[in-house]
Amino acid sequence: MIRIRELNFTYNGADKPALNNINLTIEDGQFVLLTGASGGGKSTLCRCFNGLVPHFYGGKISGKAEVQGMDILETPPKELATKVGMVFQDPENQLVTTDVEREIAFGLENLGYPKNLIARRIEEALDTAGIAHLRFARNNELSGGEKQKVAIASVLALHPEILVLDEPTSELDPQSAEEVLRLLERLNDELGLTVILIEQRLDRVVHLVDRLLVMGGGKIIADGTPGEVMNGDIGGLGIGLPPVIRLMRELKSHNAALNGLPLTVKDARLRLQKVLRGVKPVAFTDAGASLEPVLNIDKLWFAYGERAVLRNINLDIERGGFIAVMGRNASGKTTLVKQLNGLLKPTKGKIRLDGVDTRKSTAADLSRRVGYVFQNPNDHLFADTVEDEIAFSLRNRRADEAQIARAVEGMLEEFELGRYRKSYPRNLSGGEKQRVALASVLVGEPEVIVLDEPTRGMDYVLKKKLISFLDDYRRQGNTVIMVSHDVETIAECARRVVLLSEGRVVVEGNKRDVLAKALLFSPQINRLAQALSGYGVADTTLTVGEMLEQIG
Amino acid sequence: MPELSYRDKDTVIHALSPLVKLAWGGGLVVLSLIFNHPVYILILFLSIIPMVRLAGVGREWASTLKFALWLGLSIIVINALFSYHGDHVLIAAPFRLPAVGQPVITLEAIAFGAVMALKLVVIISVFTLINLTVHPDDIMAVLLKMRLPYKSVLVTSLSTRFVPCLVEDMGRISDGYRTRGVQLDSGGWFKKIKNRGKITLALLANSLDRAVQVAEAMEARAFGNGKKRVFYKDITISKMDAVTLGVGILPLAAGIAVRVLGFGDYQYYPKLSSIGFGGWEWALPAIMIVLLAAVVPLAFLKRRVEFD
Repeated sequence: MIRIRELNFTYNGADKPALNNINLTIEDGQFVLLTGASGGGKSTLCRCFNGLVPHFYGGKISGKAEVQGMDILETPPKELATKVGMVFQDPENQLVTTDVEREIAFGLENLGYPKNLIARRIEEALDTAGIAHLRFARNNELSGGEKQKVAIASVLALHPEILVLDEPTSELDPQSAEEVLRLLERLNDELGLTVILIEQRLDRVVHLVDRLLVMGGGKIIADGTPGEVMNGDIGGLGIGLPPVIRLMRELKSHNAALNGLPLTVKDARLRLQKVLRGVKPVAFTDAGASLEPVLNIDKLWFAYGERAVLRNINLDIERGGFIAVMGRNASGKTTLVKQLNGLLKPTKGKIRLDGVDTRKSTAADLSRRVGYVFQNPNDHLFADTVEDEIAFSLRNRRADEAQIARAVEGMLEEFELGRYRKSYPRNLSGGEKQRVALASVLVGEPEVIVLDEPTRGMDYVLKKKLISFLDDYRRQGNTVIMVSHDVETIAECARRVVLLSEGRVVVEGNKRDVLAKALLFSPQINRLAQALSGYGVADTTLTVGEMLEQIG
Repeated sequence: MPELSYRDKDTVIHALSPLVKLAWGGGLVVLSLIFNHPVYILILFLSIIPMVRLAGVGREWASTLKFALWLGLSIIVINALFSYHGDHVLIAAPFRLPAVGQPVITLEAIAFGAVMALKLVVIISVFTLINLTVHPDDIMAVLLKMRLPYKSVLVTSLSTRFVPCLVEDMGRISDGYRTRGVQLDSGGWFKKIKNRGKITLALLANSLDRAVQVAEAMEARAFGNGKKRVFYKDITISKMDAVTLGVGILPLAAGIAVRVLGFGDYQYYPKLSSIGFGGWEWALPAIMIVLLAAVVPLAFLKRRVEFD
């Protein structure tokens, strides 16, 4: 059991507390989902459970915190390791040895367990995590999902009573994320392990958990079963409800016959089927972009050495379009978009930017017209202050200082970064860094912007702001190209979807043609719409708004 | 290009104790440094071939050999161009340089360069063989066996483990600069150095972030909790291993003895001395061949003992 009373914590050098008067009890065997806006204190609270806060990070702490009867303020993490297992966000930076078996043995070796016990625990952990086949695999050859499973196995081997996971799926593709979550469900269900999971994508997990905690400003601002929390007033919580829940909340406000909240598409279907009466037929008219292509990809092939990664890609990207590039991991998405700004050059074939072959220009030259935002904002941050970071590209072009100052001010205001103007960019929170990265690219006013997985690990509020910004940006005649696995976001904002597999374009077209009726890539609402098509609901419905138009 | 890192394989060489391979390989490196006679250096080189074949890493070795040969060739060329010792002048320049005199290319300088190049090939081949057949964690275990402090060994092992991540980081940071309009590879050398310096700083910042995350993950798994650490895959030495280890060290011991007794040297300047061996002296390289190869039958024997 975890029992926390009036816990306050402030990091050294910080001006406000990261945890503010936390009172919390978590019973054994619960599956708890912890969510909320970025910088709200979720990771700090989780690090309290195993003593990393305050012992590893240092800072000012007050209050009481007990885990399985041990006082956290007095017990260092290395002693809590057998009580609380912790899995971190980045799969790469938590594996310390070279192969799976030794990784699982690492904690047991530190505890000085006898070799025969270590051998037994390794077997158990491999089987429980379902990775026995990876026993002798090298860590650097594993996929992200496999690495997370190894990390989970390596803490399971210590037989913890509580498993804490800090956004373990944020760097994984949807299939790997699904596998990791299924494993957690099994650990909670069959072994009775207490699981505390930080996650932003509620649609992935909300149906698995017993309890939903929402944090904001260092406080717990909502606590209850998922149904209770999501049924209540969610304004100000900063959480994004899964589309089916948003739909049902809207419908419930008009239809008293709908009780409770569905947590899955199946649940929503069954409830709706009971009350569905009149369906208003609609014909969706998706406004098209201009037909004038800004980028033309012609018979593009690309290979790393002898391994072909892109195979005969032909694509026109129209000015003013919003194009989403989707596909499994290693399907060639990032390799494709890196060709658009010259970071990679075609092995065969051509890319033309307004008719001019991009092979004749360097990435640095093309950056004036094609902006590129990397998945990890750290890859953009080199300057000493946020101001300098944003001014970097313009200074590099030797722009006039007065013009630079104006442009920087505009960006600071647009991305609400004014109060951080003199801060060191790498010291900011994840969401703030992302905004600096975006501002540092957009300040150059490129007419095409490429974003690689911009919403991965992003909280709901930030995601909403980003989508609205990109939509405005597109309306000004610019082109947005976004690589993403986030089907729900794509359904909301993209106009065209390109689906890649094994380096080839397998489907390409209007988002409705690609996303509707697809097995894996359809958004929640479309899955619901397909099931309700017998009642007259259009099976090409993609968003909550579209659904409400028909049955609201 | 084949991958040059360790892969688990079912071969007699992979099955040998890492201690044996490190002792044998380390011996070869030392011998290649202390011997000057071309015949001995050639023997050292040839002794690697059966080990490589038996380990099934011929392709990988060939790819490093190509690199080592290019490096060797450059040593020969540089030595020939800049070392003007030796009596057998093959080519003489039609001009004189101040302080140096007339540049010449001599047979002795080429021969000396060639043997130095062969030494380099031996050393690179040994490192390749060890890298391909000894698990990196076993190297760590051997170092621990030699009573090096665990924390220092772990830090070394972690640094090597994160080298590929560092390379990836560097690629991404360079791309980050390019997408912000920096021409990384153009401009004068001063500008290039300045740009690369910026990348190094960003790389350092990334590495510090990573170091904190790794330390946190280790702490969460009871690292340094004061209990005596156990090594699950500790290196144990069976009787058979002890015998093989003894045999693995023999070439080094014998080689040192040969050198201490004044054999195995060779004179390159001013004239190449005779390459042959006088009287019974031919027996010494023959003994070295036997000792260097002795580890092979023992490797097979070890496998048979294990099956029995």
